[in-house]
Amino acid sequence: MSEARTLNVADLPAFEISNKSPLWLGQTLLCVIEGTMFSILLAMYFYYRLGFSVWPPPGVQLPHTLIPTLAWIPLALSVLGSYWASEGAKRDDRKWMLIGLLVNLAFALVFLGMRAYEWVTLNFSWSSDLHGSIFWAILYLHTIDISGDLLMTAVLIVILARGRYGEQQRLGVHVDSVVWYFLVAIWVPLYAVIYWGPHVLGAP
Amino acid sequence: MKRAAWCLPLLLSACAGPQQSALDPGGSHAQGTANLWWFFSVLLGIIFLLVFGAWLVPLFRRNRGVDSQLLEQTHRPPAATEWTLAKRVGAASGVTVLILFGLLVASIVTGHAVSQPQSRANGMVVEVTGNQWWWYVRYLNDDASRIVVTANEIHIPVGRPVLIRETSNDVIHSFWVPGLQGKTDLIPSRVTTQWIEANQAGRFRGQCAEFCGLQHAHMALWVVAEPEDKFESWMNNQLKTAVPPSTPDQVQGQQIFLNHACVLCHTISGTTAAGQVAPDLSHLASRFTIAAGTLPNTKGNLAGWIGDPQAVKPGNHMATLPLRSEEVQPLVDYLESLQ
Amino acid sequence: MTPAQSPPLTAPELEEREALRRAWQHPSGIVGWFSFATHQAIGMRYIVTAFVFLLIGGIEAIMMRLQLAVHDNTLLGPHLYNEIFTTHGTTMMFLFAVPVMEGMGVYLVPMMIGTRNVAFPRLNAFGYWMYLFGGLLLYAGMFVGTLPDAGWFAYPPLSGPQYSATKGVDLWAQMITFTEISAMCVAVELIVTILRLRAPNMTLNRIPIFCWSMLVQSFMVIFAMPAVMIASTVMLLNDRTIATHFVNPAEGGDPLMYQHVFWFFGHPEVYIIFLPALGMLSSILETHTRRRIFGYPAIVLSLVGTGFVAFGLWVHHMFATGLPQIGEDYFTAASMMIAITTGTQIFCWIATIWTGRLQLTAAMHFIFGFLFIFVIGGLTGVMLASVPLDLQVHDTFFVVAHFHYVLIGGALFPLFGAFHYWFPKFTGRLIGERLGKISFWILFVGFNLTFFPMHLLGLKGMPRRIYTYSAEMGWEPANMLATIGACTIALGGIVFMVNVIRSRKRGRVAGPDPWDASTLEWATASPPENFNFVRLPVVSSRTPMWTPAQDRVTVVGLRNDRREGLVTTLVDAQPHRRFVFAGPSIWPFLAAIGVTIGLAGSIVQFSWYYVAAALGTIAFIGWFWPRRPFEVQP
Repeated sequence: MSEARTLNVADLPAFEISNKSPLWLGQTLLCVIEGTMFSILLAMYFYYRLGFSVWPPPGVQLPHTLIPTLAWIPLALSVLGSYWASEGAKRDDRKWMLIGLLVNLAFALVFLGMRAYEWVTLNFSWSSDLHGSIFWAILYLHTIDISGDLLMTAVLIVILARGRYGEQQRLGVHVDSVVWYFLVAIWVPLYAVIYWGPHVLGAP
Repeated sequence: MKRAAWCLPLLLSACAGPQQSALDPGGSHAQGTANLWWFFSVLLGIIFLLVFGAWLVPLFRRNRGVDSQLLEQTHRPPAATEWTLAKRVGAASGVTVLILFGLLVASIVTGHAVSQPQSRANGMVVEVTGNQWWWYVRYLNDDASRIVVTANEIHIPVGRPVLIRETSNDVIHSFWVPGLQGKTDLIPSRVTTQWIEANQAGRFRGQCAEFCGLQHAHMALWVVAEPEDKFESWMNNQLKTAVPPSTPDQVQGQQIFLNHACVLCHTISGTTAAGQVAPDLSHLASRFTIAAGTLPNTKGNLAGWIGDPQAVKPGNHMATLPLRSEEVQPLVDYLESLQ
Repeated sequence: MTPAQSPPLTAPELEEREALRRAWQHPSGIVGWFSFATHQAIGMRYIVTAFVFLLIGGIEAIMMRLQLAVHDNTLLGPHLYNEIFTTHGTTMMFLFAVPVMEGMGVYLVPMMIGTRNVAFPRLNAFGYWMYLFGGLLLYAGMFVGTLPDAGWFAYPPLSGPQYSATKGVDLWAQMITFTEISAMCVAVELIVTILRLRAPNMTLNRIPIFCWSMLVQSFMVIFAMPAVMIASTVMLLNDRTIATHFVNPAEGGDPLMYQHVFWFFGHPEVYIIFLPALGMLSSILETHTRRRIFGYPAIVLSLVGTGFVAFGLWVHHMFATGLPQIGEDYFTAASMMIAITTGTQIFCWIATIWTGRLQLTAAMHFIFGFLFIFVIGGLTGVMLASVPLDLQVHDTFFVVAHFHYVLIGGALFPLFGAFHYWFPKFTGRLIGERLGKISFWILFVGFNLTFFPMHLLGLKGMPRRIYTYSAEMGWEPANMLATIGACTIALGGIVFMVNVIRSRKRGRVAGPDPWDASTLEWATASPPENFNFVRLPVVSSRTPMWTPAQDRVTVVGLRNDRREGLVTTLVDAQPHRRFVFAGPSIWPFLAAIGVTIGLAGSIVQFSWYYVAAALGTIAFIGWFWPRRPFEVQP
């Protein structure tokens, strides 16, 4: 049997923390799915708006813009935390991973706290009327996604703190930041539409 | 007597089947669509034969012209062959584009034509509201005293365009009389419209064409196209108040009607019955079917329907009345007197 | 076609194989069975489960046909009939057609691109369990006496809280969540697998057409499935359970909004079902004509084009709703346009069979059946694209005929061809050719007998979804014919199943490559080892298995004591780094159980969503918790 021709890959690394990793691509696709859901909800918001002469319908207090706008401050700072954590993951720097994730978690919790406060002061619910339904659907879905990611961040913090982890978990930190960037970026159009929409589009 | 005259055409038409075919048009809208249908069928039928024929050719050619040995070695034919194939596939795709474009133009032209009123004669407007599982019909008129309310049977004059304005009280239904026009959905809190026009006298059967619940299968309607003078006399009759009972049986029947739950849902003009959620019965006997086209309008069928609506249309909203057996006959006599 | 001979393994390769067998061994025991994470096992589970649902859907179809065979029949009352046509459509579309294509993809794609598993093996397992549990949830309604009965697309207001008061529609709406999560898991996996784990030198230009079709289909899933989740769960289920107003006309909600969102998913959905079948067809045709498929670039571009255009057609399901005419004209144009992309593929196939040496196996019979049936269906589709024609035949049996012609002709017949073709790969034995051809003819005749008369019924005024009709309509003869046809289809199905069972036991043993085929799955054993290839292949053409054995190159240097594969670059597939596949785990199963409990409860009470979240979180923590060795050894 003659020498079969071969390609030797033994020298290739067995791991990599970067955007070229399959996990990164998979997570990005999941973000695309979420993004598609939000796009459809936004399209619905506009479609429904077209069916009304006054928006929101009478009797509904316009959603506040102050608190959600102020909430951008902790949100932006949380992105910084994500970035530090992600860079720390690439360098295998446990200290920076932990600092980054903790900063991210702390500011994100402040953000959520502000959102919770805003929720209890809204004078309409999802069952009040159509505006309430679509407003709450968008806000709720985004909040669930944020909370889910924060849970993931918290678990990663625990794992890093225990010290017993490897490349897979560092990759997890890197990919977690991707999700966070997405959730913050998608909030831009969502925030603009549901908070400023009634002010800009609401006049009869 | 009059009713017997109605029955005859029904009997005759039963042999041929009620006219509910898109390919048997009685008006120019349906005719235009039927013509388009034939054009598409013939053209697409030819295309099918060509495509399938091309696929079958290798079966009969038995691999002639193919160098088997060369194929097994290289698994591809010579480059010249591939280029010829490329040109042919390109040509076929190009022809496909042209044919589709032609079909598109034919479709758009026909579609625009059949959605407009066909003739210049005075149109009229009929409002149809879908309910589970019957059709509320109202002839609009600027003169409020000439508004006619009926159910499940629409009369129209031959040769005049009729605008049907449609909506629904509950779920989505669809108004469809294939002999005259395509269908349009009846959607709650929206108004949709379509034109129908008959160019010959006749009866055209329609049926709800959007699944609307348990008795979707039994929600039919009839459009009766008749010459202008017959239509006028029908309208005038419909405008009259319901015929008061004349025989003792009918008087008793009216009493039974007014003393039972019937009045909660039905209206009979000139009486205290003013219910709005079921068909108007003022001229029930002038219609040739009952229960939204489910049964021919005869005394026997009406008795059976009133006696046990759930047996005829299981799940429908008509209550089963606690009638005593000796009450049925007078009630039916009364109702069948409402021409 | 004579089976291809593969060279015997060398001594080093035999050792490697033993090591691989140890590394890739399935875990044992019951818990082990629930932990399997190889793509062949998961793929086969999808296929078998889908087949069971096909049988259930088929029984429902027979029941419908028996009811409609004669006028004024009393076999099924309206309520039961409505439940049965709803579950028939729902089962066939959500629980059979999409999952079976996914199963074929999950099974075949890693082999065809020359790797050992999908990129996320445990996600794969999770997707399967979600699919199974979703199907079980729907049919659990049988045991509490409440199946959905508002049609497979459940239009409100009929499906809303006021007119469908029982829990049936809730079951339907939440089942959608399960099947969509499952589809999205497979879509993400297949995209990442195809784009990152291909064999070295398998450039994008050399990917098998079936893999292209799965890639395009997966992207379609990603963009279309969110819409049905929104329509069924956000709009309908919430309107029904927590009094939102998305489709409540009294508060400005709009039933048409539901239709738009649903059909934005619903139209791509049928292409999601159809594209993999087209891909399978190209594979089968290449082998059965002994030549490279003609027009690879044109076919790939057509697949991609179909994927895009499919998203622009949805309003053709809504022509009767009174939308502006200009808008409807646009959708007519788009709906006709998609015939071009499909037509181009058909012309390329015709070119292939004209210049190849046709092998008339049972599989090939099904391909011929596809062409006959699908082209008819496609042409009636062109008719339906025309607004005036559609307004006459929409919601009649004409449409029923059309979509069965395109779905059964376009997806099911190629699928049956695929079963006959890949049977030796799945089972190690060839399927019986004679019984295969007989089953084909019975199915083909039965199918046309059932569905051709329905075109005429629609034109003669018979609407859909009616549980009975009266004698005077003249519809009975055609209905009777259709019922006889349906029983014939059932007979054909039985013959097929008999063939499968017999061939598994007594079929001729097949080697790795009984057809002398062109793509890499035929380089694996039949049935394949869990790791597929002893040594991963390097390719140099679109038809790697037609490269002479002495010219083939293989990959060495991967570790065989753990589950290792190769990540290659996106376009040129140059080796980039090694990749460790996740191994078996019970956590995907447990996660699915947790999410199922929560989602099932949410039908009754919204707060159960939080239960799903909590249980799911616990399971995902278990799933991702670090295990020794923490560091990936080089």
